[in-house]
Amino acid sequence: MKLINKLTLWYLAITTLVLLAGGVIVFYRVQAEIEKEVTQRLKRDLHQAAEMLGEGIPVSSIKTKQIDVKELAFDSPEIHLQTTDSMGMFSLPSRAVDRKFSVASSFKINGKHYYISAYNFIAEPDEILEGIIASLAVTLVILLSIVGITSRQISKRILSNFNRTLKTIQSFSLKQKHRMKLEETHTHEFKELNQFLEKMTNKALDDYRSLKEFSENASHELQTPLAIIRGKLELLLDTDINEKQALLIEGIHNAVQKLSSVNQSLILLTRLENQEYPVDQKINFSGVVEKVIESFKELIEMKSLMLTTKIDKEVYLSINPVLADMLFTNLLSNAIRHNTANGNISIMLTSSGLVVKNSGEAPKSPPHELFKRFKKDKQNAESTGLGLSIVKQICELSNFTVEYEYLDSKHCLSISFLPAK
Amino acid sequence: MIMKVLVVEDNADLARNIQEYLLHEGYVCEWSPTFEKSQEKLISFHYDCIVLDIMLPDGNGLDLLNFIKAEKIKSNVLIISAKNSLDDKIHGLDLGADDYLTKPFHLSELNARLKAIYRRNALEGDHTVSYNEIVLNTTSMEASVNDVLLDLTKKEFDLLLYFLINKNRILTRQSLAEHLWGDYTDNLSNFDFVYQHVKNLRKKISAANGKDYIGTVYGIGYKFDTNIT
Repeated sequence: MKLINKLTLWYLAITTLVLLAGGVIVFYRVQAEIEKEVTQRLKRDLHQAAEMLGEGIPVSSIKTKQIDVKELAFDSPEIHLQTTDSMGMFSLPSRAVDRKFSVASSFKINGKHYYISAYNFIAEPDEILEGIIASLAVTLVILLSIVGITSRQISKRILSNFNRTLKTIQSFSLKQKHRMKLEETHTHEFKELNQFLEKMTNKALDDYRSLKEFSENASHELQTPLAIIRGKLELLLDTDINEKQALLIEGIHNAVQKLSSVNQSLILLTRLENQEYPVDQKINFSGVVEKVIESFKELIEMKSLMLTTKIDKEVYLSINPVLADMLFTNLLSNAIRHNTANGNISIMLTSSGLVVKNSGEAPKSPPHELFKRFKKDKQNAESTGLGLSIVKQICELSNFTVEYEYLDSKHCLSISFLPAK
Repeated sequence: MIMKVLVVEDNADLARNIQEYLLHEGYVCEWSPTFEKSQEKLISFHYDCIVLDIMLPDGNGLDLLNFIKAEKIKSNVLIISAKNSLDDKIHGLDLGADDYLTKPFHLSELNARLKAIYRRNALEGDHTVSYNEIVLNTTSMEASVNDVLLDLTKKEFDLLLYFLINKNRILTRQSLAEHLWGDYTDNLSNFDFVYQHVKNLRKKISAANGKDYIGTVYGIGYKFDTNIT
């Protein structure tokens, strides 16, 4: 639920409660005021009538529709002011019944004892209640619509900075080169939040960068000494040596070779992570696939592998051309390397994906682990264990998804070019 | 004609490796560790070939390449770089470099590349590499022994050329494989393929009554031995 909806709901609940309480108070206050007012007026009427009787005006002319005068026995006890609240006929022809409020009192005037009563019709409590409820309901509706209309606008204004901050964080990536810049705000809480976020992301970026620089530099620094060792070994081979020494040199040479190819793969992975390969255009991936297959043809023949291909023409993809080449080269060389004698390879390329299948022994480790660095199924001497990591990294950079399966004694690597759901 | 080479490389050990190998090949080989020194040498002397490292302590090798082109110095340039970066490669070749090698490389490969550049540019018209009865034409890709044309595959031709250029050197199976298959070497599970190609090549040369110069060395590699009897 959105913050503004929550606030609005709470506000409305409180307002309704207050309005209800207010309604009750208004109801009793109005009731009491009406009764007080009517009583006062009727009392004035009684006294007026009593005055008129004292001036000798005959009873008949004092009596009106609402004032009644009766004569009581003189010695009967004086009746003090009494009020009655009852229902009574309002008017004869329509026979409407309404709330009748009457006041009566007896007066001893000029030796006579008169009982004078006066009444009036006033609003009934439920009528008052109705009125109050109606007006409160109207008030509530007005309030509701005003709050409903304005709250969104106001929240948009107040929370605009917050929303922008939220958007910026969502698009934040450790791999981005520039620091995260949040918009200036005057709201104290947002200011604090932004300061904290900027500090945190800057720290994360710095840490990430120094870690990356370290591995990058380490790999580069390794490359030169490796080259020196290789060169010295070659020169050593051409000196006067015996067979035992030659074999030792070859052993060292092979190990150095392995070290150097692992190192080169690590440099490549770092460069992939640094996003040093921009995607600026769509390339014909079918062409890349065909070219790579062509360059592997001899190798496939030498290993007596059966190659079947189904390659759609003109599959255009947004991928850096160097990476496209590297991606398919890695896939195909994996398919050649992890194959059986007289095995087979099938390659299928459509506009939605690429599937490379090849015969081979079942993997011993869980499939998802094969994408991890240095994860090799067998401790294979020629493999660096980085090929699939490179494949995965390239796929991630190009927004492809890659999956591995082992089906019908075949390794099956499928890449979907469609964006992940 | 003796090839004169300038090695522009800041790492002394690496430079010494190259120098030693090339001197043994009979080249004149000088070394310059910095950008500035290289500029001085290039202005004062003529070199047939420059082996150029991109990362120098006092500048970028590509700038030196620009300098060479701007000064119209007639030297061929082979870039060697630790960075296996395609951008550098393309950029370097665009600027007029003749070839590009990624570190670490086999010295025999460097030698082969240098010779190839030299043949292409300096020895105008001469596209043959020969030793005694063996003659290779690098343009038509034809090889003949005692004037008999050999029926060689492209790989076998490459292999023979590589042997002729690196005569009397032990060439490991690894370096032969890398020369023949380049980046795809990692996919060869063993070097049996090298063995196959060498075996076929030797057979074809012997069939044309050529001497069997190519011999195995301690089971680690091969050597084109000019001293066999």
